[in-house]
Amino acid sequence: MSMLNDPSMKEIVMDFCSESEQLFPQLTSALEQVEENLSEKKFFEQFGQIIDRIMGAAKSIGAEEIGLFCELGKVIAYKASRIDDQKLLGVVAAVLFDTVDLLTKMINQIKDGGDHSLDGLDTKTFSTRLKWLSEKFKEIEKKEAAKVTAEASAVAAPASGDSLKQNDIDALMASLGL
Amino acid sequence: MAIKASMKIIVVDDMGTMRKIIKNMLTQMGFTNITEADDGFTAWPLVEEAQKNGDPFGFIISDWNMPKLSGIDFLKKVRATPELKDTPFLMVTAEAEQGNIVIAVQAGVSNFIVKPFSAQVFKEKIDKIFNK
Repeated sequence: MSMLNDPSMKEIVMDFCSESEQLFPQLTSALEQVEENLSEKKFFEQFGQIIDRIMGAAKSIGAEEIGLFCELGKVIAYKASRIDDQKLLGVVAAVLFDTVDLLTKMINQIKDGGDHSLDGLDTKTFSTRLKWLSEKFKEIEKKEAAKVTAEASAVAAPASGDSLKQNDIDALMASLGL
Repeated sequence: MAIKASMKIIVVDDMGTMRKIIKNMLTQMGFTNITEADDGFTAWPLVEEAQKNGDPFGFIISDWNMPKLSGIDFLKKVRATPELKDTPFLMVTAEAEQGNIVIAVQAGVSNFIVKPFSAQVFKEKIDKIFNK
């Protein structure tokens, strides 16, 4: 049973909602800074760091959908902080504003009625938009990957930017003697 | 290294939700002496003071991503103190990258755990750290 549906965990879930609500203005503020000046890409990174906090807690309490949106938002924001395409950056900022808006609604739904009431939100359409953006960044990365040296491509292990699962981490830790 | 239920543990995370979840798990495992801190920046003076008072923390559990003093910088501060160089340090992270793990291992982390994690996985990590 996820914590969302466990009455004994209600306090933790409500704390999560409250903490997330406190972080939303910080997310919005970071995006406003970017929107004012699209070359201020450090604020995308800041957005990524803040939404990462919500992501970890969301996944831990079993709010999978919130965790997924945060994860996509984080990936997109970090990738946006590394590109110079002003047109795409503008789109990213707008979509991330919508992400915060949707997250706010999702948190309100949890506060009002638990996990099931998330069904009322059109999260699938939005998720598609986020994934589309994520794919856009993958295309950009593919172009950049073509420039990667043969030496780098010969490395069998995941690239340093790849996210690892707990099993991968355990294996890596073991190979490092821990 | 034996684990005592009274061992002093500090849980460092800027999200109170995560601190509560971890504290719950530790309490269920029987630990009774748990301190919380909301950032590496606020945890460091507590760790330093406990050491100076001769009652050091026996286990540090810290998030990686924190605004003022990140988990990795907090770890480096801990390891730079000779008396704390062997204090078990478990790093908690929402997403782990290979590069970050290597950096943390080089800095002296005892182990890593990725959010979300179950109480069982958490216990296994702790057992592994203390039974080395």
